Amino acid sequence: MGAGRWTARARGVRAAAAAAAVLGLLATGCGGGSGSGDGKVTIRYSWWGAKDRAELIQKTVKLFEKEHPNIKVKTDFSEYTDFWSKFNTQAAGGNAPDVFQNSYAFLRKYGDKNLLLDLNGQADAGNLSLKGFRDGLEKAGDIDGKLLGVPVGANTFAFFYNPDAFQKAGVTVKDGWTWDDFFAAAKKVRKSDGTLYGASDNANVMYLYDLYLRQNGKAFFTKDSKLGFTKDDLTEWWGRWQQHAKADELVPGKKSEQAKPKASISADLSASEFTWDNFLVRFAAETKTTLDLGPVPTTDGKRTAQYLSSLMLSGSARTHHPKEVAQFIDFMTHDPEVGKIMGYNRGIPATTAQYDAYKPQGVDAKIAAYEKSVSAKLEPITPHPAGADVAEAAFLRIYTQVALGQSSMGKAVDQFFSEAESALGS
Amino acid sequence: MTPTTTRAADGVRPPGGTAAGKAAPGTRPAPAAGRRRGRRETLAGYLFLTPWCIGILLLTLGPMLVSLYLAFTDYNLFDSPRWIGFKNFQDLFQDDRWWTSVQVTLKYVLIGTPLKLAAALAVALLLVKPRKGQGFYRSAFYAPSLIGASVSIGIVWRAIFNDDAVVDKSMSLFGWDVGGWIGDPDWALPTLTTLTVWQFGAPMVIFLAGLKQVPGELYEAAEMDGAGRWRRFRSITLPMISPVLFFNLLLELIHSFQVFTSAVVIAGSGTNTGGPGDSLLVYGWYLYEQGFRNLRMGYAAAMAWMLMLGIGLVTAVLFKTQRGWVHYEEDAR
Repeated sequence: MGAGRWTARARGVRAAAAAAAVLGLLATGCGGGSGSGDGKVTIRYSWWGAKDRAELIQKTVKLFEKEHPNIKVKTDFSEYTDFWSKFNTQAAGGNAPDVFQNSYAFLRKYGDKNLLLDLNGQADAGNLSLKGFRDGLEKAGDIDGKLLGVPVGANTFAFFYNPDAFQKAGVTVKDGWTWDDFFAAAKKVRKSDGTLYGASDNANVMYLYDLYLRQNGKAFFTKDSKLGFTKDDLTEWWGRWQQHAKADELVPGKKSEQAKPKASISADLSASEFTWDNFLVRFAAETKTTLDLGPVPTTDGKRTAQYLSSLMLSGSARTHHPKEVAQFIDFMTHDPEVGKIMGYNRGIPATTAQYDAYKPQGVDAKIAAYEKSVSAKLEPITPHPAGADVAEAAFLRIYTQVALGQSSMGKAVDQFFSEAESALGS
Repeated sequence: MTPTTTRAADGVRPPGGTAAGKAAPGTRPAPAAGRRRGRRETLAGYLFLTPWCIGILLLTLGPMLVSLYLAFTDYNLFDSPRWIGFKNFQDLFQDDRWWTSVQVTLKYVLIGTPLKLAAALAVALLLVKPRKGQGFYRSAFYAPSLIGASVSIGIVWRAIFNDDAVVDKSMSLFGWDVGGWIGDPDWALPTLTTLTVWQFGAPMVIFLAGLKQVPGELYEAAEMDGAGRWRRFRSITLPMISPVLFFNLLLELIHSFQVFTSAVVIAGSGTNTGGPGDSLLVYGWYLYEQGFRNLRMGYAAAMAWMLMLGIGLVTAVLFKTQRGWVHYEEDAR
């Protein structure tokens, strides 16, 4: 018995050693290169969005692969917040997607960390055309002389309203109306319709406050990456909205939280709301109520101070295939077929070639008409420093706590300044 | 399933080292050969352990040490970490949202865990008596825990408790219009808590095993002495299963402190973090937001170590009180 057990044990030892060796091999195998070996180049493309966007993008990717048979595109997508968490993790591991959807708000954040490919070199090499962009959009991704992103679509802020409710209340929305006019209109609508609030409480929307500040000669961020307003300014802005919310003219905080993920206007709670004009596409899917786009209120009766913002495509600075990435971006921004497929899903197409290829119908036609009506008023965009996204999230969250009655105005303003300053400082 | 009884411990052979000494005491060969064989056995033991060792070194201990180091640094994931001493920990105590997350988590743990254990014990008591279809009922009650950790159940919960969904609509029928529970700062946490209570399957199975080990003659004797149902439960069942109860309590507490997925799935939509008015900002979620969204990985690491200290403290206190209420059979002998 003893000898038998001994050999059994020896066999056991050998088996264990073999197992260890296999494990070791596996470990090295995982770290191996990713070359595909058949002369084909594979690039990874990520974006944020929902299923509707995913279906459109898949079509455009197929089109690109047909046009460039030597390039294979691997795609993945997630929701907005998850997208950035995932991106941060991948980028920190040196494994960012070769090309990805980006927006102006993130250019400095990731540009400062040298994560974004400077596309100027590729443009000079002829792999990416910067011609044919509307309204100077080819400059939108230019940060301190580096081209960190190329816009695929542009959007601007708008006043959304329910024309029936406004007509019933006898209010008209016209160019050059003021904030006083807006709040008076909200009050009238509320009085005339018991089921609808006059407006959503948008005091927590950073981009709206930015417009208000710009109308008053300031801006949300300054060029040297600081907040461009004082605590008194913010107290005045938030206080004004609170005053009307307490008068029961705006949607109460709790109701708008409960309506999420819908916006208050698309949940049929309010008759008006401020947001980006291309949201009309989403709202049309969420509510049967007809909505129209109107001008943003002004301070002096003239200036809305609005600007074009855009969704962009950026490349990773660590990509092994900068040429293919540039070709991909070039195709996605210029190809008329792509323009036809995408429509206004990511805002109005940035190049005239795609803009002309798509004939807008229904809500898209409304967006096109709105952008045409404001194109003469467009101004340069406010710079977004690194940390702008964190400041935006804090702005949204902290005012919501005021609207929910969880925080006093003074405390909320202090808290916003402390969070935003620490986000912008680091 | 009798945790920490000494008899169970005897059955377990300690790995490596002393294993050879205890092996086959009757047929012990010459000392020299035995030692050689012992060394071989030890070697084999360690070799078999290597996968586990690699796992714990690379996937658990290593990252833990790195995280301990990061807790004392300013680290944004992209630039190399900068040593800042205890600053992260000092900042934590100044951070209102950190305190909010501590409060939310404590509420969740202190309300959810007792309710969950009570539900588990109650159902285990119902299921311990042999009856028709026993197997089916046991599986049915266990099922929610099997699927409970997954994202899908969070989505289901959201669909049930959202604005204009099943719960809201049926409550409105009775004239109680709360709207969506998840969007209501007062109702969001109770909704999350019901989700954890509903997943009582795992502690229930452990309770079942404990209940089956209580000797029947104790009940017979008590019954003859005229003890009622409640009395039998209080004086026999509870003390007899107290080690199991202790085990379950420990496990569930530690588990609840780390809640993350369900809160995020239920309330995280779009740019929304922490649920309505931060009412669902559980500790793990805030940690995640700081680390992966705000890129403050050093701060997040400090948070993780504070959580570890907190859980360690709670566990230590529980072990201290154990003497007072946990009865091991061996004590009586």
